[in-house]
Amino acid sequence: MAPSSSSGLTFKLHPLVILNISDHFTRVKTQLNPPSSSCSTRNIPTSIHAASPQNVRVYGCVIGAQRGRTVEIFNSFELVFDPNTDSIDRSFLEKKQELYQKVFPGFYVLGWYSTGSDAVEYDMLIHKALMDINESPVYVLLNPAINHSQKDLPVTIYESEFHVIDGIPQPIFVNASYTIETVEAERISVDHVAHLKPSDGGSAATQLAAHLTGIHSAIKMLNSRIRVLFQYLVAMQKGDIPCDNSLMRQAASLLRSLPAAHSEKFNDNFLMEYNDKLLMSYLAMITNCTSNMNEVVDKFRTAYKKNSRTGPTGSRFPFI
Amino acid sequence: MNKMEALITSIQGLSGSLGDLCALHARLRKAEDSLRINSNVQLSILKQLDPSIHSLGYLYILEASTSGPVWKKKATLLIAQFINCCDAGQIRLASEKFVILCKRFKDRVFKDPLRGVGPMLSAVRKLVQVSPKRLTALHPDCLQLCLQAKCYLAGFSILSDDIVEVDEPRDFHLYCYYGGMICIGLKGFQKASELLYNVVTAPMHEVNSIAFEAYKKYILVNLIHSGQFSNSLPKCASSVAQKNLKNWCTPYYEVGNYYNDGKISELEAVVVAYSSDFENDNNLGLVKQAVASLYKRNILRLTQKYLTLSLEDIANMVQLPNAKEAEMHVLQMIQDGQIHALINQKDGMVRFLEDPEQYKTSEMIDVMDSVIQRTIGLSKNLIAMDNSLSCDPLYVGKSQVGRERQRYDFGDDFDNFPHFSM
Repeated sequence: MAPSSSSGLTFKLHPLVILNISDHFTRVKTQLNPPSSSCSTRNIPTSIHAASPQNVRVYGCVIGAQRGRTVEIFNSFELVFDPNTDSIDRSFLEKKQELYQKVFPGFYVLGWYSTGSDAVEYDMLIHKALMDINESPVYVLLNPAINHSQKDLPVTIYESEFHVIDGIPQPIFVNASYTIETVEAERISVDHVAHLKPSDGGSAATQLAAHLTGIHSAIKMLNSRIRVLFQYLVAMQKGDIPCDNSLMRQAASLLRSLPAAHSEKFNDNFLMEYNDKLLMSYLAMITNCTSNMNEVVDKFRTAYKKNSRTGPTGSRFPFI
Repeated sequence: MNKMEALITSIQGLSGSLGDLCALHARLRKAEDSLRINSNVQLSILKQLDPSIHSLGYLYILEASTSGPVWKKKATLLIAQFINCCDAGQIRLASEKFVILCKRFKDRVFKDPLRGVGPMLSAVRKLVQVSPKRLTALHPDCLQLCLQAKCYLAGFSILSDDIVEVDEPRDFHLYCYYGGMICIGLKGFQKASELLYNVVTAPMHEVNSIAFEAYKKYILVNLIHSGQFSNSLPKCASSVAQKNLKNWCTPYYEVGNYYNDGKISELEAVVVAYSSDFENDNNLGLVKQAVASLYKRNILRLTQKYLTLSLEDIANMVQLPNAKEAEMHVLQMIQDGQIHALINQKDGMVRFLEDPEQYKTSEMIDVMDSVIQRTIGLSKNLIAMDNSLSCDPLYVGKSQVGRERQRYDFGDDFDNFPHFSM
């Protein structure tokens, strides 16, 4: 495990980069391992390193801007990797760099990306090769393995630092923390990908259903996390788990910050809105029930009405 | 005697698992007649059996011993004990016998009803365990016993379960009628009105006396509860009821009409005139309550016209003798929650207020929650009914869907499709 970076730089990553990397990886993986797995003699594109689909590694360059101590990674593009020499194709890189410079004049090559579970040895060679473009490049690593229990993004950013190992100063990769930064356009596209919203906006009913589903899953997640915390604290109280004071302090501060407004007016308004919503759902339930009842009555009359409907008594009743 | 011994051993032996119980049941059915004849040994047999384990055998023997006109004194006690501790699963196999036994018990205990209320309640609950929303023949009997014993709360606990399935219409009529009377006893006039409404609008081919009595009480309960009276039956009552029920209720119609006019003295005159009729129907108490409620109705009408009123004015308008009585009435109504008002005793003024319920308390949340849950349950019931109706062959045959399907049903009937040629 690489130790933490001490350069003091703040990294901001845009979701576009993550999407690009994952898209690149998926595309290459599908091309290598097509769904109709009949043919095995396909031309392997040159930018893939290993043959087996799970070990496919893709490479590319990340670009962005650095302002003071903040490094913001905006975009990325793919690179051609030569498996024979284990290095990036330089001319291709420079061509692409020129093109991107024309479109995004403020952006520079900040580093490179790849996929995999951890950094490997020859990554350092590529890293060193890029050092002539940017003296301290970043290495963005995406872990394409799908892990449902993992809650964080499988993206790590590495920097290189010179550490003294065995008496020789060597560059090694160190972990750098980052935050995700979004622009409005990115937020919409991420929403689109995450929730598969209907592209034409759908009818009001589907939109409402999608919105409520989102809220429901968010609340469910919140509920399960609180439950985990609660069980942990109960176990600590019982003595099953050794007390962890820093965790308890954090939980206490969380709880203290919770009721954002505690005044009576707030309670009043809150209860009133709560009751209003309950009344609305009650009304909706009654309407629903009434329409169900209407259907039942209609079906009953169709099934059980007598054929002589023109009786003198008005005959709106199914019996007699 | 040997047969009896064999029967006892078989009862004791086969009261274990379900398969054994069915075999035992068959044996008992065959041995029924011989059981009836030997009345002397029956009680001695019972001593050897344990009611909670050998419930099925116990039931048969008890039923046989009570089938004659003369009972042993101990039999009633034994029946009560048996009902309290019998096993519901075994009873399920012979539920008709259980019902017959309980009915006989009820008839026997009718003169001294308090003894029977507890066992009857547990009997109903054990039968209800089988199918919780089904009306059994025991429900009306239990309610009748509770009425006789004036244990209204015990009866009310049975009424609080919702009934969805009904086997015998007569059971249903009786259940609703007695249930209505129990609610009247508890002064729950809203529920009483609903139950009696069920009887009045129940589908029937011929008029029965239950419907008559229920209709009379229904008119009175409606007057007490909501002050409304209409000359015609509810629209969804059957045509038989609509034709016949009105004929015998003229005294009640008079009461209703004078109630609508709102004059107390005339109403009281009518009540006195017809009091013998009301006595015969056991409704005199109810009629007196209706008269008392007329005062309340009039005061309620005043709240809609005036903001403040003096007590003497109230007494004059409502035809009460003096202001003190008016104050008592208004105070009672405020306590019951029927009106919202402030009485100023210094100058004898009453100020009528709006309903202070703002619907923003947390208790209201609980109320709303429970109400919504009930509606959801009701909706589920309705959807289940809808589904079962859709699969009903009668419905499928008559509906459009069914008719279309018939059109494509080539296999069966060539005569209906003359154009179809092989």
